[in-house]
Formats: sequence, structure tokens, C-alpha cells
Amino acid sequence: MGEKKLNFDAVAVGDEAPVITHKLGRTDLVKYAGASGDFNPMHHDEVAAKAAGQPSVFGHGMFSMGLLGTALTDYVGVGNLTRYQVRFARQTWPDEVLSSKIVVSAKREEDGKKLIDLTITLSNGDGEDKLVGEATAVLP
Amino acid sequence: MADGAESQADVLKGIIGQPTGKAKVVIERGPVQHFADALLSTSPIYHDPGAAKAAGFDAIPAPPTYSFAFEFAGKFTEMQPADAPKGNPLMTAMGPLIAGGGLILHGEQEFIYHRPVLVGDVLVSEGKITDAYQKESKGKTMTFVVSETNWSDEKTGDPVVTARFNLIHRSA
Repeated sequence: MGEKKLNFDAVAVGDEAPVITHKLGRTDLVKYAGASGDFNPMHHDEVAAKAAGQPSVFGHGMFSMGLLGTALTDYVGVGNLTRYQVRFARQTWPDEVLSSKIVVSAKREEDGKKLIDLTITLSNGDGEDKLVGEATAVLP
Repeated sequence: MADGAESQADVLKGIIGQPTGKAKVVIERGPVQHFADALLSTSPIYHDPGAAKAAGFDAIPAPPTYSFAFEFAGKFTEMQPADAPKGNPLMTAMGPLIAGGGLILHGEQEFIYHRPVLVGDVLVSEGKITDAYQKESKGKTMTFVVSETNWSDEKTGDPVVTARFNLIHRSA
């Protein structure tokens, strides 16, 4: 069960997935708050965020992980991830341009399954990493 | 001061292995679609049952991070297990630290997928604390608590998704 998008035999170590680039807006954070139920005011209430000493609202870590997840599933096909892990390295801020980088780090077969490992990052226009992680997908 | 540090270490050691909760959730089409939209997905698979079928799914699947949010959308009160543990050991450890100031950070997140989460699923969870420790870093005390939640299919008992959540408190 999973979208057939990428074929194991067509993938080589070092291949990179198409990059997703997105300029983070406050509306993105409001939409994610509503869709996820995370109503921490630091992510949507500019007045509360400034009162807490932040320069502005900042992004939900799980919005960043979700956005990078979209880049992953666009590449390997929906339903094919077997593992997805990230470390939250830095906060994200409105007007930052976030870019995904997904690189195939290994190909292997395990219990008859064809797997690829991926190293993944989400970074801003200055090359600062926001998320750093790993994923594994099963491919046809 | 040394006594305080020791008792905090004991608190952390004491919560390892403790249950964090049990829950039951229903996966519904509307919230899945809104979640996929919020993550800027343009895939028709999250919107159209026909597209999901054509891609090999029995029903519309959810995006990979949905299990972090689906209790908000589908944890209905009357369905919750009566034997769910009361209280949360995460708060036993973090509550007093938060009261003393500092910052709570989501350090890491990991999902292990056994099969896709699908619209129509009824999933049940069991969670526990798997690790808790403190480290000094740049003059701050960093407290780490890791929990693991296993979601399985209520009907078959088969595992669906395992979530590992790593929460950090950084002292003021």
C-alpha cells in the first residue's frame, strides 16, 4: 500500500529530491495552529510573543517537520515512509525563505523490502539549518 | 543546592518506564484534508478518495506527521479507555522546572511507520517515558524527557505508528 512514484532501480546514492521552497507567512502559522490544535500564542499572537521577549511570532517546529514531510512524500510517494526523524535546530521566523534538502544516503534490501535512506534538512536563505534529520522509505 | 540537584535526578530516574497515557482516536476525512493543506501539500491523494484508491490505498491516507495532531481532531471523550492512567509523569518532571522559569523546547521527533494512517481508522495508544536525564550546557541546566507512544489498529491489534517525542527544559 503506497503511491508508486519512485522506482528503487532508478535511484542512486547521492540523488537529490526536488527542492520545496516556501516563504514563511503568519497565515501559514494560523492555518497550522487550526489544523493541529497547537494554540501556543507564541505561534500566532504577536503581542504575546513580544511580551515574552521574542522579536515576533515564530513557527511551530511541527509545521517545519510537516513541510519537510510534504517534500519527502512528494519524492518517495505518499504512504512509503517507514521512518522519519528530525532534530529541531533553530526557530523559524516569518518572512524567512525555507528550503528542503533531501539526499539519498543509502540503498539496501531488508527482509525482501527495497529501502532507501535519506538525509534531510530544512534551512533558511542564509543557509542556517532549522531541522536536521533522517528518513527511510520502502520503494517498488 | 547539591541536595536539590540530587532530588531532581531522583525524580527523573523515577519517571522512566511510567505510563504517559492511553487514548483512542478516530481518523476523519475533513481534519486530514485540512492538515495536508496546512502543510502545503498539493497531492490529490489527501483530498480525493478516487485518487487514493488509484494510488493503492483502501482509503484516504494521512500525512506523515498527522499522528502528532490527531488527538486534537479525533479523541472523543466518551470513547476514552476507563483504565487510562491519571496524571502525566512528563509534568511531574517538567512542571516544577517550568514554574521556576526557563524555556520548554521540542528537541527531537521521530515516527516509525508500520502502515499508513487511513481515514476510517480507529487507533488506540499506549505511551511511556523511555528516558529522562539532565546535562549542563553553556551554564544552563538542560532537562531531557523522552516519551514513546505506540498506536495500533483497534480492530486487528496491528501496530500502525510509533512516535518518539523528546522534550527539553532549558533553565533560566
